[in-house]
Amino acid sequence: MALATIRGTAAVFGDHVSADVVLPARHSFLQPEQMAEQVLMDLGPEANRKVREHPIIIAGEAFGYGTGRESPCRALRAAGVRAVIAKSFSRLFFRNALNNGIVVLQCPALASQPVTDGDEIELALAEGWARWKGETFAIAPFTDVVAKIVEAGSLINYGRQLLAAEKA
Amino acid sequence: MTGKTLAQKVLERTSGRSGLAVGTIVEATPDFSYSHDYAAWAIDAFEKMGATRVHRPDRIAVCFDHGIPPNSAKDANSLKRVREFVRRHGFAQFYEAGTGVAHQVMVEQGWIVPGSLSVCNDSHACSGGSVGALALAVGETEVGFLWAVGRLWFRVPATRKMVLHGRLRKGVYAKDLMLEIARQLGVLGALYEVLEFQGDALPALSVSERFTLCNMATEVGAKGGVFPYDAVTAQFVQGRAKLPFEPVHSDPDAQYCAEMQFDLGTLEPMVALPGREDSGVSVTEVAGQPIDQVFIGSCTNARADDLHIAADILRGRKVHPNVRLIVTPASRQAELDALKNGDIEALVEAGATLMPSGCGVCAGTHQGVIADGERCLSTSNRNMPGRMGNKNADILLCSPATAAASALAGCIADPRLVT
Repeated sequence: MALATIRGTAAVFGDHVSADVVLPARHSFLQPEQMAEQVLMDLGPEANRKVREHPIIIAGEAFGYGTGRESPCRALRAAGVRAVIAKSFSRLFFRNALNNGIVVLQCPALASQPVTDGDEIELALAEGWARWKGETFAIAPFTDVVAKIVEAGSLINYGRQLLAAEKA
Repeated sequence: MTGKTLAQKVLERTSGRSGLAVGTIVEATPDFSYSHDYAAWAIDAFEKMGATRVHRPDRIAVCFDHGIPPNSAKDANSLKRVREFVRRHGFAQFYEAGTGVAHQVMVEQGWIVPGSLSVCNDSHACSGGSVGALALAVGETEVGFLWAVGRLWFRVPATRKMVLHGRLRKGVYAKDLMLEIARQLGVLGALYEVLEFQGDALPALSVSERFTLCNMATEVGAKGGVFPYDAVTAQFVQGRAKLPFEPVHSDPDAQYCAEMQFDLGTLEPMVALPGREDSGVSVTEVAGQPIDQVFIGSCTNARADDLHIAADILRGRKVHPNVRLIVTPASRQAELDALKNGDIEALVEAGATLMPSGCGVCAGTHQGVIADGERCLSTSNRNMPGRMGNKNADILLCSPATAAASALAGCIADPRLVT
């Protein structure tokens, strides 16, 4: 499967939104739909509403840093988030998001633009660019096994493919 | 050919590749992996992948620590499911709730050994660097993937040389050094790097103090922290190591991405202000500020030596009536040591509430939650909003000495002034 093109509207956040803010630990074991109701609620109902409405998050520095729990990423996925573009990420958020089918792109050039909630964003992963208001920004390609996980759609899908190939 | 760092050597051995440049993505088979309550998610992933056989169960352990003892039937059922899976697949070791925080237990029980690659689905997995391991955090799904497939991907990290000189002065501890490191680096200042500690200060730093430093490597964005194997490590692992090991050292001509120097003799007790771990200031700047709760616990600072420091300050005295003191030993072993030497007695007599060993209060999963507008001074590792279960409360970080001195004073207090 080729790497997808993702089109969608933006939900914009600032710097240092920690993973504990994305989803507090006490909600780790909720069902996906309940997680979607709680995601980013520590920033208020408006933050929750916009992230459920817009599938592409644009954020500043260190989005999702802190706890290595995976539930914040599951919650974002349950809310319909397909991509996060930020100035920087912690390594655990990067891994956890990709493994749960959320494309994570470090792109300070785009993340520094005055993007507003609801703006259209287009991501062409195979071609390596992102577009906002007619402007194009380069994004680094995924390589090696990481590209395979992104292509498979999640780490679980990738694992399933590997195990099926072993059995065949 | 330039030399290699410890991290490069460990990843070369466990990936079967050589000449690994920084930034290369490799697939490696860890020597050991462990998990906690959130193994439930790893089981989900394992089963969804259609896996039936766990790779190398003799190199896997589970220790319940996050939500223990469970608060609800739902949580209890989840733990039960993990217990049954662990037994069915013959994992090397299972530690029941109350044994301790998994990171502490795995080092204390000798599962994490020098020169090894250890992974865990928890950000503070980096604690294992305290005994010279490359100890890395991954996600819960990744642990399930590791069980099913037998390997995980890692990016070969750059290594930052952290040179420690001199000796800590009275009232100043490893935690204060770590808060100073965080202040200088920022919360992602060492992103993807391994912090390798060196310098003439090392022989005087115990494995417990090294643990505090490696534990919070993740708080500066680092992939890991590591202390080279030396006489201190050798003495610690002697008779404790449960797996064969071979210590690994960085070559003298290894490439480092950066170098930082710290004179331990100039450090002061530090307090990280609410919101960010890198917001540390000298305790003298905030002494006298109000607090409502003091928490001495977490994998960062609740070992027997930490409890001893706190007990020495509180022995024969009372916690200030305006403050609640919660003490959670890092492990049952730490608690036993502190029971036998009278430290727990001193803390409880002073008015501390003793909690079962685990992550609860620090992780904000259950118990010890603070009210709106309250401030908790904590020996743990994180103080971002909502961390301890309430976004409308503030968390400040400090050493066990500063925590104990403040519990006594009823406000933030300099431990050097306690007589």
